Order: sequence, then C-alpha cells, then structure tokens
Amino acid sequence: MNVRRAAAISLCALITAACGAARHHKPPATKPSALAQAQATHEYPSPPPPRQTTTTASATAVVAIRRFATAYINWTAQSVSGDLHALAGASVGQARSAMALAAAGTAGDYELERGGIANHGTVETVALLPGHRDRYVVVTLESTTATNTTAYRGLLPAWHVALATVTEQTPGHWVLSDWQPES
Amino acid sequence: MSRKGNRGRPRGLVLLAGIGAILLAGLGLAVLALLTSVFGQSDECGAPVGSSPGAGPGASIVLGPPGTGQRVGATEYGGPGDPSSGVVGSSGANLLEFPDSYAELGGETFQTATAMGGLPYMTPLRVTWGSHSAIAYKRDIGLGGGPIDGLPRVLDLWWELAGRLGIPYDDGLWSGPVGVERPPPAGAGNVLGQNATGSTSLTAASSAAEDPATCDPVTPAGVPITSGDHAQLLPNGLAAAPADAPPAVQGIVAAGNQIVGKPYEVGGGHGLPLSEVAPTYDCSSSVEHLLYGGGLLPVSYDAPSGMLESFGEPGPGRWVTLYANADHVFMYVAGLRWDTHNAAGAGDGSTGIGWHPLVRSSAGFVARHPAGL
Repeated sequence: MNVRRAAAISLCALITAACGAARHHKPPATKPSALAQAQATHEYPSPPPPRQTTTTASATAVVAIRRFATAYINWTAQSVSGDLHALAGASVGQARSAMALAAAGTAGDYELERGGIANHGTVETVALLPGHRDRYVVVTLESTTATNTTAYRGLLPAWHVALATVTEQTPGHWVLSDWQPES
Repeated sequence: MSRKGNRGRPRGLVLLAGIGAILLAGLGLAVLALLTSVFGQSDECGAPVGSSPGAGPGASIVLGPPGTGQRVGATEYGGPGDPSSGVVGSSGANLLEFPDSYAELGGETFQTATAMGGLPYMTPLRVTWGSHSAIAYKRDIGLGGGPIDGLPRVLDLWWELAGRLGIPYDDGLWSGPVGVERPPPAGAGNVLGQNATGSTSLTAASSAAEDPATCDPVTPAGVPITSGDHAQLLPNGLAAAPADAPPAVQGIVAAGNQIVGKPYEVGGGHGLPLSEVAPTYDCSSSVEHLLYGGGLLPVSYDAPSGMLESFGEPGPGRWVTLYANADHVFMYVAGLRWDTHNAAGAGDGSTGIGWHPLVRSSAGFVARHPAGL
C-alpha cells in the first residue's frame, strides 16, 4: 500500500514537473531574416571578411618591419602610389587599409606631382615596445625634397617615429598588420 | 648660454629708460586689469585673446600654418663685433657649428622669451629677407625689446644666418623686418597625411566656442586639418577637415571625431542636449550631433531621420549633403561619408558609427543640404 502510494505520488510529481517545464518552455528561437533585422535596426549584417593573403612575408618580425618601413619612406611623386599599393598587398588589416587608402589618395595627386616631391630615408632602429609581444617602435631618419618648389629647401633630415604591429600568418611568415606614423 | 637683447646702446640710459618703461607699463597693465575685472568684458565664445602684434617688450605673434608667412621684427647677434653674446645657445648648441640658428625673443626675462608662442628647440622656420630665404632652427632664446618698424621684435638671427640672407653685418646691431613662415611638415607620414596628429601637422587655432548654437561656428580646437577642399580619413578613424572649408564644416568634422566608434543603438543619443556626448547613437542622433557641431542646429533639436527630409535646402550641397528617409539618414561632409554602418562594402572603413571613404547608394533617400554649404 505504501509502495503503491509512494509510486503514485512520484508519478504525479513527475507529471507536474513535466507540465511546469512545458508551460515555461520557449519554442526554438527562429533567427530573424536579414531583411527583418535590417528593418528593425537599420543595419544590414555583412558576411565576415575573407582571410587576407599577402604577396610577400618575412622570416622575422623585425625584417618584415624594416622592409615595410624602408619602402614606406622611399618614394617619388611618380612612384608613391604604386609603392603604397604594393605595401597594401604585402600587409594585412589596418596596415593594408591605410596603405590602400594612401595609394588611392596619392594617385595623380596634383600637389605631389607639381612640386616634384620625394621622400627618402633610412630605418634607424626597430625595437619591441615594452609590454608588447607584437608591437614595435620604428625610428626613421627622413628627408623630404621637392624639385619644383622651394618649400622643403634647407630642411635638415629629421627623425620620425612610427608604431608597427606584426602578425605571424603561418610559422615564419611575418607581415605588417598595423602601421601608425606618430611624428 | 642665453643672451640679452638691445646690445650696443648707452647702457645707463637704457637702464633708466627701461625701469621707467617697466613701471609705466606695469601701472598701465594694472589699470587695464582693474577696468577689465570691473566691467567684465569677457568673450563668451572664448575667442583667443592676447597674442596680437603689439609694440611692447611682451608683444608676440601667432605663427600661422605652413604657407602663411608674416613679417616680424628681427635683430642679429653674435660675430666678431658682438663678443658678449657668446657662441653657445641656451639649447646647449655651439652656434659656430650651427650657423642656421635663431633665438626666440620676448619679455623681460628668459622665461618670457616666448614671442612666437614658445617654440620648442629645433623648430624650423623659413626666414626671408628681401629675395633671400633660408631655413633656420631655434637653438637660443633672448630678451625682447621695442618694436622694429612697427613690428613686434620676436626673432634674433645668428650673424652667420643673417649673412646667408644677405643682411650686411653691423657688429650685431642690425635690426629690420623679415618674413617668417613655418615650412611644410616633412617625412613620409606627414606628407602622406597619415601622421596620428593630423595629416599636415596643422592644428587649427583654438576657439573654445561653448555653444555653436549661440556663437558663430569656429574651427574647433584640435581638429586635424588637411590641405585642399576634401576631408581626409585618417588611419585612426578620425577625419581631417579641409583647410579651405568654412568653419561650420570644420565644426561638423570635429563633432564627428568626438563620437567616432560609439556603439550603435536604436534611439541612442536622443533625449539629450546635442552638446553632450552620448554613450550610444543611432543614425539621426549622430547626424544631428554633427550638425550641431557646425552650428547648424540648436542644442535642443531632437528628431528622427524622417524629419531631416526637410532639413535646410533641397538637393546636394557644396560641402554638406544629407540623405534622409523615414528609416535612415547619412551625410557627406567635404567628400567623406558619415554613416552608422559600412554600407558600401569592403574598403568602406571600419564598421559602425564613423567616417566612411566610399560612396553608397542614395536610392530612396532625399538629398538636402544646409543653406550656404
């Protein structure tokens, strides 16, 4: 008798619990369509970007930075757009975007061409930024010259600082992922 | 070693005259300060005061951006006829090794030798006398003095620099007007407009306008400036305002830079004065924040995107064009698109609220522009 009663109580409890769970159970959420989401938020979600590949890579971070920085500071009005375009292809992330933007901005730049402006210099040092494992400070010594304007005439070569971040895409293949001139 | 100005004059007479002038000037300044404090003559728009060319020893100038030269009073120092000046500048440089040196003058003490704003050592300036010009670097400071040909005395040329400019050597006693101008910023990062501090190292003059709704739009402090008439997207996501743009456009750019990268939220930024920076924005509140920055909306303006379909004048503007409909609003400011998302696909800059370099479809939007812009 006691066993039957206990069993009945257990069964009732189980049924009650199941009902309660059923009562609070939410139906599986259906993902809103992209159109509905756009209408609701005014934002249209874009697919994740494809993995970026580069035209070249370097065996070490420092070599990658030196190579990038040397190309960045040595150009003429005629070459600068192509040089920056090449740098965009050799880098990823922000560095690629910044170089592509600069390449587009300098293509046919009237002021650069009219002035015959050129920049040249050397990479003086590349040093790991304390507290970082992929961020470096880059010091360059640069001169800007112009063949058709006196604007830069007499200016001494000057030191400049940039911050560079590198990414190891695959083991032993380092590329620039961020380039920020600071001075 | 710092030098003293006003050499080669009867020192006793100069001393007495100087003391008298100082006393008179001090008395005058005290009276002026008293009158100013009593009558409360303040500029609510925060227009910079002082720094205007004057005639006293404290007269100073504000150097303009590269390309904007100005005439100032200059003297020369050093050389065989002026041995008392020595050969070591206050920067520690031996000026005999650096003939392209100048000293910034000003005031009655070396601490006030800031007649050009207190330039850092090694600041280059292009100095022009007649048809000759040369780049010179600040390696020294000196005391000021009276005006030269009505121009504030701000610059002392090392005698070898003066010689390069064709100025005849007068034993350190020559004085006259010269032209000074900042040279353009050099280096790849500056020339390419990628320097973190601005595309051309120019920073527009401080304005400190408290309320563009009540004050004329003026170039905000710290907004990067780029040459020409197109805004430029900087690598850090901020925008450089075009130098040729009206102050209202530069104000819009500055206001946009304030909220670049803020999270998007439907309804975000609404219900707050436009003078505040909200934690989140949506399309209309962000556009309104920018228009307020340009002095084009009152601080209390708050409307959804559809209301902006009737903003200003119809059609595209010379500098600013809004595209609005009932669901969304974005705008172009000197060629850069302000939008709350990356609507033009790859290469359209970072996602989210901010400046976007590419043109997006404007189908379904009404084009409007602020009157005169």
